[in-house]
Amino acid sequence: MNKLRLIIAREYMSIVGRKSFIIMTLLIPFLFVIIAAVPVGLAYINDKGSDMQQIAVIDETGRYAAALHSDEMYSFVAIKGDTVTNAREFYNKANGSLSAVIIIPRDVDSTGVINIYSEGTITPALVSSVRNVLTDTIQKAHLAEMGIPNLQQMVDDAHVDVDVRSVKWDEAGGEQESSTNAAMGLGFMLSFITYMFVLLYGAMIMNSVIEEKTNRIVEVVVSSCRPFQLMLGKIIGVGLVGLTQMAIWIVMLAIVGTVAGGALGLTGAGAGSMSPDAMAAASGADAGMMESIMRQAMSINYVPIILNFVLYFIGGYLLYSSLFAGLGSAVDQPSDSSQFTTPVILIMLIAFYAGMACMENPSGPMAIWCSIIPFTSPVVMMIRLPFGVPTWQLILSLVLLFGTALAITWLAARIYRRGILHYGKKASFADLFKWMK
Amino acid sequence: MAFLEINNVVKRYEGHTALAGVSMEVPEGCIYGLLGPNGAGKSTLIRIINRILAADEGTVTLNGKKMTDDDIAHIGYLPEERGLYKKMKVGDHIVYLGRLKGMTKADAVASMHWWLDRFDLKQWENKKVEALSKGMQQKVQFIGTVIHRPPLLIFDEPFSGFDPVNADQLKVEILALRDQGSTILFSTHNMSSVEEVCQQITLLNQAHVVLNGRVDEVKQQHKKNIIAVQTPDTIEQNPALFTILPPEPGKKQDTLIKLASSVQMRDAIAWLNEHYLLTGVTEVLPSMHEIFVETVKSTKTAVNNE
Repeated sequence: MNKLRLIIAREYMSIVGRKSFIIMTLLIPFLFVIIAAVPVGLAYINDKGSDMQQIAVIDETGRYAAALHSDEMYSFVAIKGDTVTNAREFYNKANGSLSAVIIIPRDVDSTGVINIYSEGTITPALVSSVRNVLTDTIQKAHLAEMGIPNLQQMVDDAHVDVDVRSVKWDEAGGEQESSTNAAMGLGFMLSFITYMFVLLYGAMIMNSVIEEKTNRIVEVVVSSCRPFQLMLGKIIGVGLVGLTQMAIWIVMLAIVGTVAGGALGLTGAGAGSMSPDAMAAASGADAGMMESIMRQAMSINYVPIILNFVLYFIGGYLLYSSLFAGLGSAVDQPSDSSQFTTPVILIMLIAFYAGMACMENPSGPMAIWCSIIPFTSPVVMMIRLPFGVPTWQLILSLVLLFGTALAITWLAARIYRRGILHYGKKASFADLFKWMK
Repeated sequence: MAFLEINNVVKRYEGHTALAGVSMEVPEGCIYGLLGPNGAGKSTLIRIINRILAADEGTVTLNGKKMTDDDIAHIGYLPEERGLYKKMKVGDHIVYLGRLKGMTKADAVASMHWWLDRFDLKQWENKKVEALSKGMQQKVQFIGTVIHRPPLLIFDEPFSGFDPVNADQLKVEILALRDQGSTILFSTHNMSSVEEVCQQITLLNQAHVVLNGRVDEVKQQHKKNIIAVQTPDTIEQNPALFTILPPEPGKKQDTLIKLASSVQMRDAIAWLNEHYLLTGVTEVLPSMHEIFVETVKSTKTAVNNE
């Protein structure tokens, strides 16, 4: 036990003590922010950078063109419908100064169809902006035409957004508001964390194993402890590194969250520069939904979820990290490792995609099977957990997961024992099977 | 009862046998040479003693007791292929290896300081291993092997990677450890170092023990009744008593004489003394190098003829 502790401590310090670890741990969150910010920034630059577009609006009805207001991007020029006979001619006559021609036909009130013509590309942003404005305007005009006083007011009053609450009956006869959106979000988050953690730190273990082999330190070490202790020490040490890294990120997130929360009032003013669509997405129309998600999030019973998450996390990590350790021991150089890692990463990917697919139907047969099979269960069960999982499935899945994890650890240790002393000829899968015996 | 006893150890791999019933006895406080060509099974045997590998058959006893995993604390092992964690600090690394062998932290730190001082590496204690020259790394490796003062030391090709000056220093340290009571098992291809430091040897070839015993006895057994005679005269052939061999390169002043099989050395010398002016006579014993090559070659043909 004492030796195991020593090995864990060395493994942990050897990674955490590195400058690159500290730098990466601090940088990765910023990297994520940058990755998330780049598309928004690019869209912004795209909007800002393009020239003002002249758009001719040929309004045959003469009533609606005024509703299209010019902004920074589009300058709408209304043209009386009877002055133009041919839109194409008109466009050509403008000698390229027009980027599009909108025709609001005389019968738009009955058909509800308008056309935009251009020789260039017609951006989705333009289409949706024109559609939104004209739908609203024409609808209002129709209501007004009906000549009923205060009709607009009555329509507004009658408007309702239906909020569907799913309520789950528990066995005791009580009711609990279940929580589809929040559950999906939480499930996705948990399964993504498991997936990333296992892949990242599994690879780290593998590199650590290969490094000891190429360094030739491994024979010195295993003359002082059992190879299994060394392997287990590595798995636990690297696992603790991962937990440390996650803890740092959570603290950083909390700090950023607090700071950003305080500054939100300021950034709210800046939101005016967003495109109309983005504004719509962020505007009060969704406040009800946000509120409902918050309410759902509050209703989730976190204690069993977190408890199970920890169990699956440990089981999944043990399963995959010992696989990586065993496979890593069979190669001399990191560059040779891909022949062994590819199948493992493939299984992980399948688990991840199965998890995504299971979000649609967390109680379907595929979800149930994938959450019981040990290689996929750590990822897939995370998706299902917030929706509630029958106890027998949980127990079966956990027993299978830990049974398999221990069996794989045992087999990996047997491979490891032979692999770390194997140099020269590249080992094949057949060799690995021989070593297991 | 020997300090380390290996009884009939067998180790098989898929397709070949690495050790086919190897036995040997290493007395306490001696430097014991384990010799053999590449692939003879030396490393496998050493790994079995270190409990890195398990024997298929046979036993290894230390101090009369069958070895267990706890016994590895009593062994210091310097493998042929060795290395260090490049990113660790020298001091931390040595202490880590000591503690893995069961030392307390305080003991390991004290011992580390003592050894660094002895090897003039004190100023490197807080440097990373990768900052050291190869020779210095080898010294650190050696310190890591002996830091816990084990009663049994196993060195596999200890001198490889050392320049002659450092090799001499290492030799001095190994002899000092022996004088302090450690038993040393020494695996090497370097026959001159065997003659210098080993008292006993076992020669392995193709998974079998082909030769063992005290170095001086082995040499006596393999002597070919050759004497080197220093004389200003020219000695004539005398087939009844001896034949004259071509001189060894670099030692032209010596006349090499091989005695006929039934002739006693003293009779031959007496006869020579009567007929020639002798300034010196020495018996020529074969070098370990010759014995090694000869034994390996003869066992190879024996095995091939089977």
